[in-house]
Amino acid sequence: MKEILTVTELNSYIANLLDSDPFLGQLWLRGEISGFRLYQQSGHMYFTLKDEDSTISAVMFKSRARGLKFKPKDGMEVLLRASVSVFARQGKYQLYVEEMQPYGIGGLFLYLEELKKKLAAKGYFAPERKKAIPAFVQRVGIVTSQDGAALRDICRILKQRHPGVEVVLVHSSVQGSEAPGELAEGLRLLNSYGEVELIIIGRGGGSYEDLMAFNSELVVQAIYESNIPVISAVGHEVDFTLADLVADLRAATPSQAASLAVADMQALSRQLDNYQQRLLRAMQRKLLYYTEIIDRLMMKRIWKQPRSLLHMREELLSQLEKRLSRGMTETFREKKMRLSMNVAALDSLSPLKIMERGYVLLQKEGRIIRDEQQVQIGDRLEVAMRHADLEIEVIKKERVKRWKS
Amino acid sequence: MEKLSFELALKKLEESVEQLESGELELEESIKVFEQGIELSLFCRKELSQAEGKIQWLVKNLGGEFELLDFEV
Repeated sequence: MKEILTVTELNSYIANLLDSDPFLGQLWLRGEISGFRLYQQSGHMYFTLKDEDSTISAVMFKSRARGLKFKPKDGMEVLLRASVSVFARQGKYQLYVEEMQPYGIGGLFLYLEELKKKLAAKGYFAPERKKAIPAFVQRVGIVTSQDGAALRDICRILKQRHPGVEVVLVHSSVQGSEAPGELAEGLRLLNSYGEVELIIIGRGGGSYEDLMAFNSELVVQAIYESNIPVISAVGHEVDFTLADLVADLRAATPSQAASLAVADMQALSRQLDNYQQRLLRAMQRKLLYYTEIIDRLMMKRIWKQPRSLLHMREELLSQLEKRLSRGMTETFREKKMRLSMNVAALDSLSPLKIMERGYVLLQKEGRIIRDEQQVQIGDRLEVAMRHADLEIEVIKKERVKRWKS
Repeated sequence: MEKLSFELALKKLEESVEQLESGELELEESIKVFEQGIELSLFCRKELSQAEGKIQWLVKNLGGEFELLDFEV
């Protein structure tokens, strides 16, 4: 026999069941508001959301309702984010609304503007926190649908540019209520795997509503938190999704994302060729330069006629010799001239010359007599004349004055 | 020494080329830069041809471990 439950136990069992379901924990849905009531005292909003065939009760608490940018009214089509849980007291499940926007492009736009403002204020889109895309990527992570055209486009372009590139795919739905959670989870998975240098997250083009997942806070958050650079590739040219704004680089299409992700190997190979050629050319120029210098040096006579240096020296030597001997001759001649001048001077001073003029040399016993006191009367003196010697006797001695001195 | 990345090697190669082209180096230095440049370019070429080019599908298995499955687009 099975255990008998109380109603409360049953309701709480069901509540647990619903609360543990991740899908019901966070979902987007649209519908028409009916039976809208705003409780003045509590500030909570209660209404029923319906489409053609069914209805569901909804509550939006004051804390959430405060952020509403519009006044909900019966008959209004809305888009809302909510969780589903059990209201145990009445034994019914209902929507607990987190956010709500008027539906339709206008409404969606309003909602996006609001979210964008909020995320911008948190600095999610700031250029300075964007990571650089590595220039040379070998392993690319992709988060997209395995069945989508986007994956085929990305892989085709990747292979075309870089045949050796490795691709690590994480499959995720890209539209519908599960897409935001799966896309975000895909990014986290690649981050914890860690073996890719770059992540492309995206999908092919679609309607504005199809792209909603890329506007979801979950995806924006996951891109923001990624340690690996992220390229967003949502296939639409004109409008930006919030994923585009937060991504490190935005590509307009998946193909463009692939082009941005990896370097073109042919171009790189050409660049390498270019570098190699320039290295060779520059080196050749350098060697040529030195060769020319060496050639120029070798052209000099000294290398062609090693004896010429010797000749030069010999020439110098003989020149020096010539100069030396010329110098010697000069000196000699000068000396000779000075000698003959001296001789002439000597000659004019010689006693013989004086004697020629009639002077004589008076000597006594070989000594020259200069003074009358050296002689006495009767002394025998010798007189030397120019051409004769006389012997004389002193017979008189008298002192005279020849000229006044 | 840390393994040279392709990017760094390419950048160094470019620098070598420009250095050598400037013509300001002594002969001995030129030869050194030239040899280094050639080595870098060979390294880059090797890097270019190294990857295998697989496409794989990353999943986490029930044990919480990563698993890569071959995948054909």
